[in-house]
Order: sequence, then C-alpha cells, then structure tokens
Amino acid sequence: MTVDWLAYAPLILRAAGITLWLSWLGMLVGAVGGTGIALLRLSRWRILRLLALVYTEFWRSVPILIVMFFCYFGVPLVLGIDISPFTAATVALALHASSTMSEVVRAGIQSVGRGQWEAAQAAGLTPIQTMRYVIAPQAIRVVLPPSVGVFITTLKESSLASIIGYIELTKTGLLIRDSTDGGFIPLLALAVIYFLINYAISLGGGALERRFHIGRRLDTVGAMA
Amino acid sequence: MGYTFTLRTIYPYLGTLWQAAGLTLALSLLAIVISIVLGAGIAILRRSHSRLLRFIGAAYVEVMRNTPLLVILYIVYFAGPSIGIRLSSFNAALIGLSLNSAGYMAEILRAGLIAVAPGQFEAAHAQGLTALQTFRYVVFPQVFRTIYAPLGNQVIAVILASSLASAIAVDEVASWMETVGSTSFRFFETFVVAAIVYLVLCQAVNLGRLGIGRMLFRQGAVAR
Repeated sequence: MTVDWLAYAPLILRAAGITLWLSWLGMLVGAVGGTGIALLRLSRWRILRLLALVYTEFWRSVPILIVMFFCYFGVPLVLGIDISPFTAATVALALHASSTMSEVVRAGIQSVGRGQWEAAQAAGLTPIQTMRYVIAPQAIRVVLPPSVGVFITTLKESSLASIIGYIELTKTGLLIRDSTDGGFIPLLALAVIYFLINYAISLGGGALERRFHIGRRLDTVGAMA
Repeated sequence: MGYTFTLRTIYPYLGTLWQAAGLTLALSLLAIVISIVLGAGIAILRRSHSRLLRFIGAAYVEVMRNTPLLVILYIVYFAGPSIGIRLSSFNAALIGLSLNSAGYMAEILRAGLIAVAPGQFEAAHAQGLTALQTFRYVVFPQVFRTIYAPLGNQVIAVILASSLASAIAVDEVASWMETVGSTSFRFFETFVVAAIVYLVLCQAVNLGRLGIGRMLFRQGAVAR
C-alpha cells in the first residue's frame, strides 16, 4: 500500500503549531512563576527561602509525566471539576518550567553585584525601581541563554501531553500512523520535525547570545525529556 | 467534593509498587551505565582527527538533545518489528533511554576531556608513563573532577526520564500510578506515593553526591 504522505502535511503543520503554542504558554507561565520563586529564594525571611527551596527541589525530583497524570486524572477527582487535557498539560509544563526557571533567574539576580543595590538605594530608588532599572537589565544577560534551553526542554516535554490524550504533534503523528499502514515513517517524521523546531530555536538562541555578547549556554538540570 | 485523602485505600497495591520501583531502578541504572560507555565513544569521536567522525559525533548529540525522548522510545519500540526485530518493552525502553542519555553524557564527558590540557599528555609521555598510567594518574582524576557534578544531574535526569517507559508498557512507577489510579480511583494517593518514590531516589542521588563529593574533593564545594 502506498500512502500519499504529503496529504498529511497541513495536518502535521497545524499540530506543530499547537505544540509550539502549548510549550510557549507553559514556558511563559513557568517563567513568571519561576521569577516569583526566585524572589522568594532571595527573601530576607528564612521561612520563605525554605518554602521556595522545597518547591524547587520537589518539582525537580518528580517526573513531569506523573504530574501530568495527577493534573488530568487526580485534580478533577479531588476538586470535583473538569479539567481539559490542554489545561492539565499546560499546568504540568508550567510547574516544571517554573522550578528550573527559578534557579536560572536566581543566578541572574545574584550575578549583579551587591554594591549596585546599595548604590541604587543611595540614589533614592525604591526596591521595585532598583529591580526594574538596575538589576533586571543586567540579569537578563545571564538569564537569557539558559532560558532557551528551558524552552527546548519544555517543548520536548510537551510531547507527553499526547499520553493524556491531547492532540498535539506527537499524538497527531501516532494517529496518522494508526490510520495508515502502521509503519514507522510517521514516527521518523515526528523526530525530524521536533529536531528542526528545536534546532532552529537553539540557533536563534545562539544568535541572541552573540548579540548580547554572552558565553556558552549553561546546562540545565533535568534537561532530558 | 467529598474526596478524603486515605492512604489505606492503596495498601493492597503496595506489593506491586516494590516491583515497579525495582523496574524503575533497574532501567535507570542500566541506562546510565550503557549511556556512559556510548557517550564516551561519542566524546572520543568528537575529538577525532577525521572531520567526518567529528561531524557524526556532533550530529548524534544534536539529534538526541533536540528530539523528545517519547518519540525516540516509540521509534525504537515500533520500528523493531518493521525490520524484523522483536523487542520486549523493557529492552526497547532501555535502548531508547540509553541512546538519548548518551547524547547528554557525550557532552559531559567531552567537557571533562577538554579540561585536560594537551601538554599534559606530552608531559606524561616525557615522564615515561604508559598510556594506561597516563589515563589512570593524569587524565582520570582531572576528568572525574570536572564531570562529577553534571554526571550526578544526568543520573537524576535519567531516573526521571525512565518514567516515559510507561508509554511503551513497561510496568515501572509511573505506570503503577496510572494503573492503580484508574482501577482504584485514588489518583491523589497514588500520585503522592509515586512522587515519594521518585523524590527518595533523586534526593538519595543528590545528597549522596554532595556527601561523596565533600570526601573526594577537599577544597571547594561541589557545584550543583
């Protein structure tokens, strides 16, 4: 049986868009949450620092797949509400990304010398102004390169949404496989598409690094997915 | 509402949890060992004199780091029968996990090799050390020091990634959570138990690494 693979191209492209949207959303929520956790990690109060540490270590030590299972199957049971696979996947991706991003943002904030805080205070800047105009512009140079790595990890992790039945890129590939001859061409195509997307992102990240004159990308914890 | 958290409901399933945890552990440990060996081979390829071999090494790393493990697992598991090789789901998971992890291991080991300056090989040679002695007394101690922290991270990453084996029907901890959860409708409890198993495994590696690191390397803490 010969299959007209090109007929599936529009379907695959749309699915790739869905995967990108899902990962982008997870990454965005994760980055915002991670920044909050990073600020807690650097707080003056020990209890807040401890809470943030426990949060980071917890999500770092639990596989994202079981978090996704819990969000999709467990939360509706516990709270008695319906949760779509999309919401469950986004929440799980965001939780995971937030723990990695909190470490990235923390390293970024800490890379800015202590003297700058004091100088900003002496200049009469409020803490928020200090963050906005003094710390953040410098921290972003340290935060940006590993963030690209976290985004790629999130994109790869988004493939797990297929397991809870969300129809993104991987699930689309599997469905095409089921409806054709069951061979592994759709699976190889999946690998190629993911590779192209991620490689393009990492090349884009490299270009950004050169633009900001930053060194090599740092390896992130738990980057395998 | 009306959901009460009662661990007692999943007592009957704890027997299979030990088997599942054993499978997670076996899968992770084997994958780590295999991927270190494979990764070392690729790291050596990347330092080869031949441009083609360097390219193959680099391409392998890039492909593995930019492709989801789940897709790799599906390819290994489903492609086998298409070309006449029938793999058990455990073996397929082990191969997929090892191939994927080898891409990361290669980078870790390569960073370790870079840490040894070329002059040291010449110096060792001039001192009359054999190749084996050079490796044992000059190269290994320095490489080990460099790769120690990232290697620990990779071990944790492999343990977490082994959960994906549940997608190709390996009965490890993530699969235990899904099966027990869907038969008993106690997804909260099964999540907590499964999370504890992974937490214990990962933090054991993490704390063990810090402790051993302090003993091995006197000066300076081991960076995470």
